[in-house]
Amino acid sequence: MRQHDEFDATQEGDEMLERAVEELRRPLRVNSALFDARVMDEVLRAPSGVRQRLAHLARPRTIRVSPIIALAAGLLFAVSLAGSVLYILPTSRRVDSGAEPRTVAHAAASSPVVQFGFTAPNASSVALVGDFNDWDPKATPLRAASTGGVWSVEVPIPPGRHLYAFVVDGKVWRPDPAAPKAPGDDFGQPNSALTVVDPRMR
Amino acid sequence: MTNRSLFALAALLMCAPAALSAQDSRLDARLDARTREAVVTLIDSARAEGIPSEPLVQKALEGTSKHADAPRILAAVRSLARELGDATAALGAASTEDEVIAGASALHAGIAPAALSHMRASRVHGSLTVALAVLSDLIARGVPGDTATTVISALTGAGAPDADLLRFQQGVERDIAQGATPSAALGVRAQGAFPNSAPRRTP
Amino acid sequence: MELSDAALVDIVLKGESEAYAKLVARYRDRYARFALHMLGNREDAEEALQDAFVRAYRSLHRCGEPARFGSWLLAILANRCRTAGGKRARHEKRFVSAEDRHFAIALDHPADASAWREEIVRALARLDADQREAFLLKHVEDMEYEQMAVVTGAGVSALKMRVKRARERMRRMLTEGGHAPAR
Repeated sequence: MRQHDEFDATQEGDEMLERAVEELRRPLRVNSALFDARVMDEVLRAPSGVRQRLAHLARPRTIRVSPIIALAAGLLFAVSLAGSVLYILPTSRRVDSGAEPRTVAHAAASSPVVQFGFTAPNASSVALVGDFNDWDPKATPLRAASTGGVWSVEVPIPPGRHLYAFVVDGKVWRPDPAAPKAPGDDFGQPNSALTVVDPRMR
Repeated sequence: MTNRSLFALAALLMCAPAALSAQDSRLDARLDARTREAVVTLIDSARAEGIPSEPLVQKALEGTSKHADAPRILAAVRSLARELGDATAALGAASTEDEVIAGASALHAGIAPAALSHMRASRVHGSLTVALAVLSDLIARGVPGDTATTVISALTGAGAPDADLLRFQQGVERDIAQGATPSAALGVRAQGAFPNSAPRRTP
Repeated sequence: MELSDAALVDIVLKGESEAYAKLVARYRDRYARFALHMLGNREDAEEALQDAFVRAYRSLHRCGEPARFGSWLLAILANRCRTAGGKRARHEKRFVSAEDRHFAIALDHPADASAWREEIVRALARLDADQREAFLLKHVEDMEYEQMAVVTGAGVSALKMRVKRARERMRRMLTEGGHAPAR
């Protein structure tokens, strides 16, 4: 059973709070002539309307490209681990347009090319998913090598940090064992991190 | 700089995606109307703040591909938006999208915003993208945050190019793979990078 | 006949920038109240509000849901309030004269009410920005938690916790003071 004082204090507190909220809810009157004039002054200074601005800003994100070297984090072990192998391409390789996977809406055609690999001898399909292809398991299938169960694909990836994973047989999600695990909310299915360097060194 | 020219600068720095309608339709196809509305509102207000929106779209798409439920997708997008906003604040409005994305990753890994600002101050020319990515990845491997920040800041401050930072990271990873503890691996590699002195401490 | 937010947004995007003034008029007073209580002083609040309206105009083509213009604008304003605070360096000293007073508060009993109001605002200022924001959105702006989540970017349970804590602290601070006018 609460003490008399405590009960009073709580009730008093609630009342004060109620009254404070009442006071805060009182409508504010703004000197509209002055305020509106300042806002519209800024607004109307823009070159005839928002559409011009839209056209001006609609150029693609600047991607600094020079197809010389692509380096991916987490590799340099040309060691075949139980899950995957990742290779650095020492020079740019233009992927044959026939073989180039449909993907990477955001990369220019001359982004550094990264080769991804995954070892899964019993799989019937392996796909690459990531923030460069909308995480779409249909976008970037890997090709199986004729022996050894190694699947691979080459993909132009814009410089910067990326998250990716593999989807085996259309349903099993696997990170890349050779790559750093990506922090962040992964919805319970871990991702791997990839860092692609802008090849132009300053 | 007056507030007015700051507005103009902020407006210019907001990079519009190449195809606005394409983005909306990607979300259309994969989210229910109510979730989509909430996600789109979040993304739009982030854009208006100069926060990169493509990572938010990708996070939503990742969630749908992984069959996560709507509240979880929304929570993930929100939390990423927060991190991107904090990274933008810590790294400065003139940062590139790539830097902000890598910065958000570092913040998520537990690096303090102040450390990001310090790195920005110590590397005035050149992108911090790779440095921040390497920092995130080292921490993901178990290297303590303070030590990793100190060492990477020292490397960037000394002008190490991106390729060297990646090689540094790969060296640490290789040592860990061969049985070294993360701290030891970092210590040994850092020693190699600065043979004559200890790295400068981050204040 | 009043045009809906969506209709006005559409008109502005088609090139009639002047129509934006109608949206400004629609949201100005209500959001001024929020900005003032978030920031605690009129100059900062006016600047944050002006900022928000201008940014919203400049990104109007990116407003995905024109019918939700209000929430979208509030999200921008909430962000502005967070980054503004009183820390903004003033490059020009401003004279506060009757003409410069951009806000006027309608008060019934100015003498009594102003000390009380000051106390409330002082108490608000002592809350964390997160808690203050959540408290104002819930109790003053009457928002549902779902909508608050969209505007602030925080989760519903976090927001509930913030509101709860804000209430507790406000209750404590207000009972320790003593300026409330008698009923």
